[in-house]
Amino acid sequence: MMFFLEKKDLPELLRRAGAFFEIIAPVPINGEPQLVSWKGGDLALSSPNPLMPPTRLFLPPRETLFAYLQESGLYTFEVPEVGNRLIVGVRPCDLQALSMLDRIMLSDPADELYSKRRRSTAIIALNCTEPSDSCFCAQMGAGPEADEGFDLLLTDLGERYLLETGSPAGIMLANLSEELLERGDDAEKRRLMRESRERIMSARPWLSQDRMRSRLREIDWRSLSKECISCGGCSFVCPTCHCFTIADLGLPDGERIRCADSCILSGFHRMASGANPKARPEERLLSWYMEKLEHMLIRTGMPGCVGCGRCDRVCFSGLHRTDIFR
Amino acid sequence: MDAIETTCVYCGCGCGLYLHVENNRIIAVTPSMKPPASGRLCAKGWLLHGFVNHPERLREPLIRRGDRHVQTSWSEALSFIASSFAEIKRDYGPDALAVLTSAKATNEENYLLMKLCRAALGSNNIDNVARLCHAPTLFALGSSLGSGSMTNPIESLLYSDVIMITGSNTTEQHPAVALHIMEARRNGARIIVMDPRRTQMAEIADLHLQMRPGTDIALLNAILNIVIQEGMIDEEFIRSRTEGFDDIRDRLAEYTPEVVERICDVPAELIRDAAVMYGGAEAAAIVYAMGITQHAHGTDNVQAIVNLALATGNLGRDGSGIYPLRGHQNVQGACDMGALPDYYTGYQRVSEFREKFEDAWNVELPVSRGRSAIEIMSSAGSDIRGLYISGENPALSYPDSSRIREALESLDLLVVSDIFPTETTRMADVILPVASFAEKYGTVTSTERKVQLIRKAIDPPGSALPEWVVAARLLEIFGVSSDYNSSADVMREIAALTPSYGGISHERLERGGIHWPCPTQEHPGTPVLYRDGFLRGRAVFRHVDQRSLDDERFTLIIGRSQYHFHTGSMTRRVSILERELPEAFVDMNPKDAAALGIRNGTGLILESERGTIRARARLSDGVREGILFMPFHFRESPANLLTKWQLDQFSKIPALKMVSVSIRREDA
Repeated sequence: MMFFLEKKDLPELLRRAGAFFEIIAPVPINGEPQLVSWKGGDLALSSPNPLMPPTRLFLPPRETLFAYLQESGLYTFEVPEVGNRLIVGVRPCDLQALSMLDRIMLSDPADELYSKRRRSTAIIALNCTEPSDSCFCAQMGAGPEADEGFDLLLTDLGERYLLETGSPAGIMLANLSEELLERGDDAEKRRLMRESRERIMSARPWLSQDRMRSRLREIDWRSLSKECISCGGCSFVCPTCHCFTIADLGLPDGERIRCADSCILSGFHRMASGANPKARPEERLLSWYMEKLEHMLIRTGMPGCVGCGRCDRVCFSGLHRTDIFR
Repeated sequence: MDAIETTCVYCGCGCGLYLHVENNRIIAVTPSMKPPASGRLCAKGWLLHGFVNHPERLREPLIRRGDRHVQTSWSEALSFIASSFAEIKRDYGPDALAVLTSAKATNEENYLLMKLCRAALGSNNIDNVARLCHAPTLFALGSSLGSGSMTNPIESLLYSDVIMITGSNTTEQHPAVALHIMEARRNGARIIVMDPRRTQMAEIADLHLQMRPGTDIALLNAILNIVIQEGMIDEEFIRSRTEGFDDIRDRLAEYTPEVVERICDVPAELIRDAAVMYGGAEAAAIVYAMGITQHAHGTDNVQAIVNLALATGNLGRDGSGIYPLRGHQNVQGACDMGALPDYYTGYQRVSEFREKFEDAWNVELPVSRGRSAIEIMSSAGSDIRGLYISGENPALSYPDSSRIREALESLDLLVVSDIFPTETTRMADVILPVASFAEKYGTVTSTERKVQLIRKAIDPPGSALPEWVVAARLLEIFGVSSDYNSSADVMREIAALTPSYGGISHERLERGGIHWPCPTQEHPGTPVLYRDGFLRGRAVFRHVDQRSLDDERFTLIIGRSQYHFHTGSMTRRVSILERELPEAFVDMNPKDAAALGIRNGTGLILESERGTIRARARLSDGVREGILFMPFHFRESPANLLTKWQLDQFSKIPALKMVSVSIRREDA
């Protein structure tokens, strides 16, 4: 179903949804868009995509899997509770990343916390009418338009949004604000999305998944990585990165935590003997791109790069630019 | 879910970042897009969420009962501290008390601890960790130029044609500075690295002068000598803005490239190339860190840098300047706040400004000369009887650890505040649990003199308190004015008493950081110093000579690694960082290793005249033959058991950077 929603009415629609969900949305904090609990203030839906990908709301960079408490030699365990959430403004690239993560985290045996969070979260996606310079989702087949994986989908038409439903939950959410909605059509949206796609494609007409894959073995990773400081930033903001490590902190009481790990760090690859097959940064960089462009594709049928451009935005030495594949 | 913008706690770069918070826990970190980080962080920064919520955080005040620490209440802990300090003061006089403040604490906290030491305890024995890092900078830059701090902001490096880096492993220790150097390089700037180790910066540099450690003065003097010979000095600048050049010009003549080649073991031609490159630049910057300062001739090292920059007119302009890189989040601020034996806030000398502070605080202030950090330690148990250490771990970070332990043990009262138990809290009579950077409001001053806010993201664990609250409550017990409702109130008092912070307030900082000096509310701050002249009138040249070096088989250089910070009390509790570097290593040239039958991973025993430690060898052709390198983060291999209490005569910095050692295989 398609509706028009006046921009001024979006907060009211969210407020009504707030009766059932904690609303998480991009909000300007000291001038920068951040994904936080929305409490009725300004939204940052027309700002660039926040650096922290929404996929990290399902697999946080640091989370407690359970707390353990010891009493008279007996252990009891406390598992964190997961509440209902509605994430607003998820971009098509991140939506595709999420559906790729689903194929990994929910395949047997499913990750319990991830699947709990996934089941209790609704998503209002936002089509990208104003792509950033670093975006190349169109070349990766991940945007700028979402076609599945959302409960509701917004497209910014200027004065108003086009609101589309994508699931039974989405229809119920729309019904809560029925009188704010007006039957709509997607003519304007189709024009805007065509323009947006053309803008993204024309910024890098030479770029494609095939192009990237074929260039992987030709790039001089060694000279490229001379300035890499192995900060791991690219992997910490990548919406499809999902490697983690687990640690038990504290004795006799404490907690088992899981935190995001990074194959850009050398120790990630070190074996128990001390030998390290990927001791050099160029080996790790190549392996990161191989994982994104080839291995994830084989495992999930979807490429591990969705063209969000975050790795480029945080790269210390500016090496994660698409130009290297030119 | 919430996201709070704050400033990173580790090095002095002052990177802005957002802490993402859920249920009073930090779950993620992302960089702020504002300078100097501009959307980048190092691995330590990205993983900042790793230690704050660690279950080993100190939660309740602890007091010693026999050989155990037992939980107590804040009011009991504080009244015990106050009465014990009062007792020592009565029996031995106020000069028997001392305070070491923390470069991890805010400006407001450093200020209140300074006030506590001087106004309540009545002692000028106050110092901070700057004594172990940039005391020579404070002295040499202060006496030559007028201000002992970085002359230009980090972003100014983008305007440099040539950047000379000496004694700094910039990519690993000051990543945000390295970021700007790399960007300048991509835009055509040329890079000279002078370092005994082939660092990552040396790998990408145009010139790497891999000299013998400890020969910085010879090398810098030779470069200046060549610059003079080649007529590349800025005569107009020298004439109009400096004094003393003629005195040094003649004395530099003996530092010919050929003579210095023999001292430094760097080819004369390479020295010449470096001199011509630096001297020929329109705007050249010199970046340095602990490799320059942590020597018994640290002040002379810095002076040699000052001489070079002055002679080429590389001060007071964008792209030029001297960049002493500060190693702690707020070590600049700790100095600015007067946590120094001879200064009040803003480098107002105790000898000149005592009455001003007596009037402001309405107390009589001590006149006796204060002791510096190492002097405090060396008189512990005799002249010094009571010590308050805020958030530092001298048992591991100070030179000659065995002597430090004896010193701390011989005190009548040792109070230590920290966020985690450390080797130093173990020896304390009272342990105070304080809030981490993520659990309080306040300001910190980065290496580029930029005052920035830190903001509270979560509540402290247990009954831990921000240290400014602790200091304020102690002041109250001692009857000194301490009517503060927030750290913003404390900043108002600082601003009123400190000309260089006069225009700084929390309200203004909400809109972004400000570079001091910032004397008034309307003043925009001063990113570049000395644009219109030097604070002291004319800048001063002072000739410095190379000292002779011990001719030992092995010289051990001591520093930090990329993945840990200082004594590891924070980073060693971050599981990924600990995984990256779980134990100490000794970098060793493969030729040396082959001669001694040592392989990668062989256990080594290192012995100096002060102590013996164990660590594994890591073969690396990045160090010269005869040179070893190891980090000091690890209590299992405490590098500072080997170092000596050899002090620089001007700045009293101990020679922490290098020590002569003998090595043998563990199984030999």
